[in-house]
Amino acid sequence: MATRIDTLEPIPAPERPPQRRLSPREWARENLFGSWLDTVLTVVFGLVVAWLVYRLGKFVFVDARWEIIERNITNLMVSRFPRDELWRVWAALLVLGPSLGFGAGSAAAARRREAEEGRAAVVPERASALRRLGPLLLLVGVLLWFAQSFQATLLTLAVGVLGVAGYLLGRRVALSGRRTALVVLLGIAAAYVVVTGFGGVGWEDWGGFMLTILLAVGGILLAFPFGVLLALGRRSSLPVVRAVCVAYIELFRGVPLIAVLFMGAFMIGFLLPAGVERPSLVTRALIALVLFTAAYVAEIVRGGLQGVPAGQVEAAQALGLSHFRITTRIVLPQALRTVIPGLVGQFISLFKDTSLVAIIGLTELLNVSRNITAQPDFIAQGLIVETLLFAAFVYWTGAYWMSRESQRLERRLGLGER
Amino acid sequence: MSTENGKGMIQLEGVSKWFGDFQALNAVDLAVDRQEVVVVCGPSGSGKSTMIRCINRLEKHDQGRIVVDGIELSDDLRNIQEIRREVGMVFQQFNLFPHLTVLDNVTLAPRQVRRWNKAKANEKAMEHLRRVRIPEQAHKYPLQLSGGQQQRVAIARALAMEPKIMLFDEATSALDPEMIKEVLDVMEELAESGMTMIVVTHEMGFARAVARRMVFMAEGEIVEVGTPEHFFTNPREERTKQFLSQIL
Ligand SMILES: Nc1ncnc2c1ncn2[C@@H]1O[C@H](COP(=O)(O)OP(=O)(O)OP(=O)(O)O)[C@@H](O)[C@H]1O
Ligand SMILES: [Mg+2]
Repeated sequence: MATRIDTLEPIPAPERPPQRRLSPREWARENLFGSWLDTVLTVVFGLVVAWLVYRLGKFVFVDARWEIIERNITNLMVSRFPRDELWRVWAALLVLGPSLGFGAGSAAAARRREAEEGRAAVVPERASALRRLGPLLLLVGVLLWFAQSFQATLLTLAVGVLGVAGYLLGRRVALSGRRTALVVLLGIAAAYVVVTGFGGVGWEDWGGFMLTILLAVGGILLAFPFGVLLALGRRSSLPVVRAVCVAYIELFRGVPLIAVLFMGAFMIGFLLPAGVERPSLVTRALIALVLFTAAYVAEIVRGGLQGVPAGQVEAAQALGLSHFRITTRIVLPQALRTVIPGLVGQFISLFKDTSLVAIIGLTELLNVSRNITAQPDFIAQGLIVETLLFAAFVYWTGAYWMSRESQRLERRLGLGER
Repeated sequence: MSTENGKGMIQLEGVSKWFGDFQALNAVDLAVDRQEVVVVCGPSGSGKSTMIRCINRLEKHDQGRIVVDGIELSDDLRNIQEIRREVGMVFQQFNLFPHLTVLDNVTLAPRQVRRWNKAKANEKAMEHLRRVRIPEQAHKYPLQLSGGQQQRVAIARALAMEPKIMLFDEATSALDPEMIKEVLDVMEELAESGMTMIVVTHEMGFARAVARRMVFMAEGEIVEVGTPEHFFTNPREERTKQFLSQIL
């Protein structure tokens, strides 16, 4: 905890301008029926939206034959993952829940401390905790509803309870930012080992939503540092480094992801010297995703680097800081802050683009949702709409959640307030 | 390393500097003694900033010699770092690190460069913040402070490295009038405490009160050097007279 040497008076809450309260009627008159054109538009669009909602609602709640999802929920989640090793996935979730919860709690405590010391805007947290998890809770709820399994529900509840316990513990312990990150990363690593280690299932046999998550999270965790290095290399004072980075970035930004995936699938084997074991298809797909995404991350980060005023570097130089420290302590923190929206956008793209690995034969979520329509019980019954809708819903909850978290982060870091 | 010739702290000998084809400094000679306060003035574009930025290698001089506390400035990175550790600098635009609290701004360099532990760095930092009279702002972020407060933090940040020399480049030019005095007061106290200082400023009241010597620059050259008394009452050079008539 930072030493508090002074005694700060509590800062009074900022006064808010008086708010004009409108009754729903007044609001509607002002916004929807202000002129005759407004009225026409309101009516037309109202009808279109109502019709679409009706058709979609009727399909989802009345016509759709969701038994294809119900019967295949395990396939959709893990695909070819061996069924008698499924306990490992649950064990991993039981590890992940509390460690992620702990991280969130510890971060919340740090934020509250900042607010109390008067250095950050006070954000009301309590009610929003549930809202923040909204999309994910919705996803879990829908999955459990399809699973119709007492055991799965119980285990999910256990993960949730452990997660909340971790959160409360995190608020208590309130570690520094770096230690918090360490705990979370250790949790992820432990969960990974629980699945793969000790006679477990290597990721070449992962599938379904689990593979989607692996590719997305692994891709983000690897592409981010790699992209930052490329961005720094592009500004290096060494011409060779600069040239290599520019060539790399321009090459990968000029090639479609599908091509990179094909090259990853078929060429990485060639490039390796004879005798070296060829990495699994999943690994090759991950490498391709990382190589591709890193080029975009590099360009986004470069924009942030350019936005850091020269005076910042000069002040740091004048203090005698080394080039390395100036980069890691002064330039990067400021640059990355400003590019959070762009980075998250790129990561959302990556999350959705993991579905492209289907074309090199990996059975991730989207591929499974196509394959199951060919099962004897369901073949040629036009159930692709149900399965695609399901897959789309899963992607949407993940992407929407990421997007909302990024907006929160932006607000908290006070972007645009400078 | 000890000094070569007794009390000399900074020597510039025949220092020239070009930006492309444009010569920003033309054979500048200047020697500053230990504990001396030198005020540099001159019209815009005359090379004042360039000169003092050469002293800590924010700009690289093309010709001549610069010796700081007995160390000659060379291209060797370690040599540059050694000099930067001894030379503090305060900028017109403050250049505080906006993502760090005031306290972290002040302790960053001592912890990273001088390798002090956190407790020692914090304690020293608070000493310096008290010296510039803003200890109560230690946990705020720079952008939560007024301009005058920010500039005083910048001074504390430079002092925290315990430099032997302080360079000020128009430290009060970006401030609202009512905040200029609080910064000048701090600078004046610093001068009285025996710090070796080169101050680029147009605050002639400050110069009169604090400077041991005045340096007048124009077009990349040092035109005139003298005590404030001589400088303000009967300058030798025509260009100096002209400049003073505009500014006073
Ligand atoms: N990085 C640079 N590239 C090109 N020219 C430069 C650069 N820095 C300074 N100059 C030029 O060098 C000359 C001297 O600049 P300098 O900043 O030293 O002047 P100054 O005396 O500090 O002026 P001011 O009072 O406006 O700050 C100016 O003509 C300026 O345009
Ligand atoms: Mg200047």
